[in-house]
Parts: sequence; structure tokens; C-alpha cells
Amino acid sequence: MSPQSSELLQGTLDLLILKTLALEPMHGWGIAQRIQQVSKEVLQVGQGSLYPALHRLEAQGWISSEWAASDNNRRARFYSLTRKGKKQLESELANWERVSGAIALILGRI
Amino acid sequence: MKQLLSRLRSLLPGHPPAEVDEELSFHIEKQTQANIVAGMIPEEAHRQAMIAFGGVESTREACREQRPLSFFETLFYDVRYGLRGFRRSPMFAVTAILTLAIGIGTTTAVFSVVDRILFRSLPYAHPDRLVSVGLVAPIEPQEFMLGSSYYEWRDHQTPFQAFTSTVGVDQCDLTEHNPARLSCAGVESTFLPAIGIQPMLGRNFTADEDRPNAPNVVLISYELWRSQYGGDAAIVGKTISIDGQTTRVIGVLPPAFEFPTLEHVDVIGPQGLDEAAQRKAMPGAVMFVFARLKPGVTIEQASAALQPEFQQALNAAPPQFRKEIHLRVRPLRDRQVHEARLAAWVLLAAVIAVLLIACANVASLLLARAAARERELAVRSALGASRARLIVQTLTESLMLALAGALAGSLLALALLHVFVAIAPEGIPFLQRAGLDLRIISFTIAVSVVCGILFGIVPALQQPRAEALARRVSAGLRHHGLRQSLVIVQIAVSLVLLACASLLLRSFWNLRNQPLGMHATSVLTASLSLGYQRYPKPEQQLAFVQQVEARLRRLPGVNVLAISDSLPPGGWHHDHILAAIRVAGRPLPAEGTGGTVAWRWVTADYFRALAIPIVEGRPFREEDESSNDHFIIVSKLLAERMFPGQDPVGQHLQPGLDGPWYAVVGVAQDVKNNGLAADDEPEYYRLRRNRAEDWSRDSAVIIQTSMPARAMGNWIRAEIAGLDPTLPVNMQTMDQRVSQMAGRPRFETALLGLFAFVGVLLAAIGIYGVISFMVTQRTQEIGVRMALGATRADVLKLIAGSGARLVAIGAAAGLLASLLIARLMASLLFGIGPADPLTFMAVVLFLAAVALVATWIPARSAAQVDPLVALRYE
Repeated sequence: MSPQSSELLQGTLDLLILKTLALEPMHGWGIAQRIQQVSKEVLQVGQGSLYPALHRLEAQGWISSEWAASDNNRRARFYSLTRKGKKQLESELANWERVSGAIALILGRI
Repeated sequence: MKQLLSRLRSLLPGHPPAEVDEELSFHIEKQTQANIVAGMIPEEAHRQAMIAFGGVESTREACREQRPLSFFETLFYDVRYGLRGFRRSPMFAVTAILTLAIGIGTTTAVFSVVDRILFRSLPYAHPDRLVSVGLVAPIEPQEFMLGSSYYEWRDHQTPFQAFTSTVGVDQCDLTEHNPARLSCAGVESTFLPAIGIQPMLGRNFTADEDRPNAPNVVLISYELWRSQYGGDAAIVGKTISIDGQTTRVIGVLPPAFEFPTLEHVDVIGPQGLDEAAQRKAMPGAVMFVFARLKPGVTIEQASAALQPEFQQALNAAPPQFRKEIHLRVRPLRDRQVHEARLAAWVLLAAVIAVLLIACANVASLLLARAAARERELAVRSALGASRARLIVQTLTESLMLALAGALAGSLLALALLHVFVAIAPEGIPFLQRAGLDLRIISFTIAVSVVCGILFGIVPALQQPRAEALARRVSAGLRHHGLRQSLVIVQIAVSLVLLACASLLLRSFWNLRNQPLGMHATSVLTASLSLGYQRYPKPEQQLAFVQQVEARLRRLPGVNVLAISDSLPPGGWHHDHILAAIRVAGRPLPAEGTGGTVAWRWVTADYFRALAIPIVEGRPFREEDESSNDHFIIVSKLLAERMFPGQDPVGQHLQPGLDGPWYAVVGVAQDVKNNGLAADDEPEYYRLRRNRAEDWSRDSAVIIQTSMPARAMGNWIRAEIAGLDPTLPVNMQTMDQRVSQMAGRPRFETALLGLFAFVGVLLAAIGIYGVISFMVTQRTQEIGVRMALGATRADVLKLIAGSGARLVAIGAAAGLLASLLIARLMASLLFGIGPADPLTFMAVVLFLAAVALVATWIPARSAAQVDPLVALRYE
């Protein structure tokens, strides 16, 4: 594990999960791995926040879950993005771009 | 399907914990595998995976918390919370539930009795379109038709899709190895189809079978089928013997069958009228007509459409009677329950009033509790409970109370129904069949839910104030205005109840204590009705009754014995119109029917047996009974009508316009003869001589005795049974007869009295609760007042005064309301006006006294407060 890992910014975990699930349905471990890999080991997702987040997103109706066989034939819960979730992802992405752009502006100015 | 499943699942609390566990352990397994791939030995790999994962338990818990509570979870928590609250204050819960049980229980019991009278649809197809059609004339209270016009109407009417008739229900004898007295109805062949009844077995009879001299066919009732023929389907097609005639059973009626007149019916057969002869007859057979309106036709339209036929029928009537004949078309339900309806509404309104008082009491209790709990609610609100959440919580609690009350109330209702059936007189329609079925249970639940929302919504809507957080003791006076208005309403409603009950009570008293015109104590009556089969001829009837008389006269203690064919003060007797009495030497009256005249066949001792005074002329004498002449005694009322200013004694009358002439020998004092409540009819008595022509199947033996009624009754029974053991004897003392006639008013009075009592009791509890709560809330204030020099009397005046104010306002409102409401039940009253000042004064005084006592108790305890304690009280 990389010593350079950082804590996630508050509220960004939902966005990352939604974005990850936009590719394909995945189980919790896969999501964590994917975020870690894609961020080149910078972003570590703690299980203590991942699973509650998944359940929260499901309760809000943005993702849905289904039990299916994983690669080694073990039963796993796979999460996938719902239509409502796709819309949410789009609006969160837009929001992120706006906010991060604004932050970049401020940082650039200083 | 999948969506439905997931929606169903979302009602359940979250994902089952096992699934969360499986998901998390899968994660750990994956991590372990990854670690192994990275080169760790398996144990170490698992250990590292567990370390990386962190607290499994806390994650599991965190997952559960992410999901909003489902409906059932919320309900579950609210119910648990409510139960905990009730357990903390069991007195509150028990009081509330008992109060509600009384309100809901009485309402349910009464509703189940009046449901069929007022609301439940009749057991026929499309019953709302069934009507009763006929003429109303003084002789018969129900609308009827005559054979001479019925067939014309049937063929020419337009507003009905079916038009059918019955000649009514009569006694008949099942003359088989197992004989029984039955009720037989004669109906037209279209009768059952018109009301929409299909025989359960077999078929209806055809028009061909409904002719005179057609072979006898009948349909039997379900009860007769079960009791007499053991429910054997093979009875259809077999022959039985009715009144000695061989009769074929062609069908069995369904179990729920009710004859539209509500009379008990064992057998239905063709009425067998000769249509052609009836059309020509004058006036023809009396029939009762039922019809089914065409869809969309109203009763008014039907009445209007029948006018031409009605005018034609009117023209056929003697001209002097025409003014007194009217056309009547009314819903079948109205014909069935005409007099029970008002009483049913009164009782239902009374229990709803009791229920209202009970709800007000519980609302008041809840308000008091809400005041005490304001701080708790404020805390919950501060911790983030939304307003809706708090309202739902409070409503859940009140609904819990209401449902518990409904449960206890249903048990009470069951018990009450038993009491009702036990004390009810005959003739209350459908009472025997009242019970708690699904419909009634749904009603009870609906009532309790409405109740729960009614008394729950007020406290629920109170927004907890932020200040309540800061105070150590919450201020309760805020809800006080509301609770005071509840008390005012309770006082007013219970005053209305009490006033109506008192009016009924006094009217019942009048009914029972009116002069009957005869002496009813120590008089025994035995009514016999001789069967057609054993006593077909008047000679046999006379012979039998003479034998009975001879035997009974030998009994010890028989002071006077008389025989009549009917008995006062009510029930069946002969009658006809006054205009049908011809007076010797006088033309018949040119105009009007003169109303109904009652008459009986009596033996000479009738007046002595009942101690009816003869005010003019002489009573019948023993020797008159063997005379060739005919003698008659008229009542005072009849004498005044027929012979105003003349001496009736010595006049000659021909009642019924044919037959022999009767000589008037005397005038008897008026006797109640039309029931206890209705006005007396003029009456005459024909002397029943020892000749067969004066006798009929019906006889009532009247015995004035000095012996105890029970012993005498047994002897009489034994003597009659010695002559004919199969003959049913209906034995009653005259007192029992009179008391039975008052049965219905007694029942109504008892019920309304009970409800009024419960209502007043609940209202008294209500006012007591409010005042004593006020005293507790104001203890400190009272202490201050006393410390500043107020005397105990001042405090007493202060507290009792505020109670008295409520009572005064409530009583004034209740007085106004009851004056209005009592007018609606005027027709239930006898010998008393609906605004009887004495009754109303007494009621107001009584209620005021009860309410003031209820205020006095807490007021006195307030006056006894020790100022030192009160000042520190918080």
C-alpha cells in the first residue's frame, strides 16, 4: 500500500462510486480496488465508509444491488447504476467541475 | 415482478443482517486472496485483511443506519415508544381505554341492532327499487289493494317492471304424523321472481298452478325443511298434508329468505284467486302489493303515473268514503320498519352522543398528558425529530388507545347484545338476529379510528415550544382553554341525553299509569285457537269451549269466568267502519266512514270478570245467552258518537249492514282497546250466545281469581290438556298482557336511560379531571394567594367558580339543543309535551348538581393546600 495515500474529500466518495459503477456493475471490493488502481494508489477507500456509502446510495435509489456469482463462483453483491443514479452522476460531475474549477482559479491566483 | 418484490422488501427493515454479513465477509475473503497472491501465507493474509478492514461490527451498524426507517419500522418504534409511555402511566392508559370501551362498545351494540332497520340493504335483488303499493284507508294501517282493482292496475301500470301481490299470512296446520301449527302465505306466481328470490331447491309455482282448484303445491321455508324434514333434498316432489289437504312440495326457500312484510312464514303457496271473478267482484279480496320500479323511475314519478288507475279505483268505492282513501307508494324498507325507525335513530344518536362524550374525555386526558409531556416533545424536536414525525408519533399513540378501546368495546358490545336480546320485547325487527359480523366489526374499527384521530389530532398539532426545554416543570395552562371547551360540550351533550331520557321515562310512566278502564289484577287469560282439522264446524268449536268452561268452573278459586274472542287492551280484535252500522229508523250516514269501530264476541260475565262498569242500562244476563234475540252493549265513546243526546238503551243496530238486528241493552265504560299509546276506538260487544253461529275458532277464557296466578295457570293448562293435549294454550295474566304492550317503550326508555346515565357519568368524570388538573397546575398560585391573605373560602370560590362557569355555559347550550332535539322525538312521547318545563328544569338541576359535586371535590382539596408547601411546589 502506498504511503502517499490521501483521505477522500468529504462528499466525493459518492461521486467516485457512481462514476466507477457507470462503467459496469461491480461488488464492493471491486469498487474499492478500482478507485485505488485508477487513482494510482492515491485514493484509499476505507471499508468503514465504503459499505455505508453503498447502502446510502441504494436507499436513495441511485444504485441497485443484486446477488450474483463472482469470478471464483462465490456469491457476491453486485451494485449497478440506476437511471436515477446516472442523472445524479451527471449533476454531481457538473457540480464537481464547477467547484474544482473555482478552487483551481483561487489556487492559481495565489 | 422484480420491482414489486423490491418494493415489498423496502417495507421491511433494510437488507437482512445476514446479507450485510455475507457482503462484508466476501470483501475480507477477496482481500485475503489478494494478500496471498501478494505472497503472504494464508493465516497472515487473513489477519492482514481483517486489520485493513477495521471494525466489522461498526461497519455493519453504519450500513444499517444509512437506510431511512421503513413504514413498519417507524410504526414499530412508535408503538414500542407508546407502550413504554403507557406502562409508565398505567392509570392514564386504563382510564382512557375503559372510557373508550364504554363509548365504542355501546355504539357497536346499538349499531348492530339498528343497522338492519336503518342501513343494511334488504335481502332481495336490487332492494332499493322494491316498493309497497296500495290504498290507505281508515280500516287498515298498511296500504292494501282489492281484487276488484288490483288486476286492472297490474295490467295497465307503467312505472314498474314487476307488480305482484300476496293475500297475506295465515295460520295453517301441518296435518301429518308430526303435526304442527304453521304460518302459510298465499302469493301470486310472480311474487318470488318480482322480489328476486330463487328457490334453493326445486322451483317456483307457475301461473297455471295459481288458480282456484289447481292441485296444491307449496314451497317450504329452510327452517321447516331442516326441522320437519331433516334437510332431505328428496322432499321436493313429495306430498305432505296441510289442513288435511294433500299438497306437493315443489321447492325449498333459501335460508336467508324473509317475507317482505317481515311476518314469520313456514310455507308459501299459490293464493289461488279466481282472476276473472275478482275483476268483477265488489270489493274483492284484500291483497298487499309489492312492485319493482323500472330503473331510473322515482317513487314520485310512479305515484303520478298511477293516478289514472287510482282515480278509477276511487270511483268504484262508495262516494261517501272517497275522501278518506289515498294512494301510497313507499319503499319496502319504510313499510317494514315504519315505527321502529324513529326509535332506532334516537338510540343511535344517543350512543353517538355517549361516544362523543367518551372521546372528549380521552382528548381531555391526552391534552393533560401532552401538557405534562411538553418538555419531552420539545427535547425530541430539538434532537431533530421533524414536526410530521412528532404528529405521527402522537397519532400512533392515540390510535393504539382507540384500537385497544375497540377491542374491549367489542367484548362489551357482545355482552350488551345479550342483555338487549334478553330484555327486549317482541316486535323489535331483526333484534334476534343482531350480532357482531364482519360489517359490524368494520364499523367498530372505523369508529375507533375516527375516534382516535378526533381525540388525537388536537394534542398532536400542538407545537412544542422552545421554552419548554428550559423549564423544569412545564406549564399546563396552555391547553386549558381547549379542555374547558371540551367540558362545555360534554355537559351540553349529556344534558340533551338526560333530557330525552327523562322525557321518555315520564312518557313511559304515563303509559303505564293511565286508566285502562278495567281491572287488570288477578285476572288470568287463556287464548285458544282451534285448528281447522279437528274443529272444522262451529258446532264442534262451541262444544269444545263449553266443555272447557264446564271443567274450569269446577276449579277452586275461579270467581268469575267469561269467554270472548279477543282481549283488550290491544292486539287483534274485529273491526269495521262506523258507517257500516245501521241504526233502526235512521238512514245510513251520507258522508264519511266515521273511522274504525272495534268489536268482540263476549259471554255474559265479560264485564264482571274485567270489572268494566256499565254506566247505563244493564249488563248481559246469564239467561240472555240462551235467548233467541241478539243483544249488544256499546262503549260510552260509541254511544256518544252514534246517539248524541239520545238514550242508546233500547235502540236496535245492524252491525256490518247484514245479518241479525241487535238490541242495545247497556253502555259500558270505555276500555283501552287499541294498544296503550294509541287513541281508543269506539267499541261494541256482541253477546256470544250458546249457539254455534256466535262461535269461531278463536276464544279467550278470562278468569277472575283469588288464587295465585301460577298455580291457577297450571290447573287451567291441565284441564284443557285433558280435553285436547295438542291444543296450544297461550296463558297470561292481564297484568302481563298490559306490561307486554308497554314492552317496546320500556325497552327504549331503559336503553336511553342507560346511555344518559353513562353519558352523565363520563361528563362528570370529565369535569372532575379538568378541575383537578387545573388545581394541580395552579397549586403555586393558590399558595401565593393564601400567603397574601386569601382565605380558604376565597380559594374554594375561585376554583368552584371556574367550574360552575363551565357548567352554566354547557347547561345553557344543552338546554337549547335538547329543546330542539326533543321536538324530533315527539311522536315517541305519550301524555307529555316535548318541551315539558318540569322535566327540563329537573334535568338541568340534576346535571348541575352532579357537575358541581365533581367540581367541589378538587376545589375543596385546593382550599386545603398548605401555603408553605404550595409555595415550594414545583
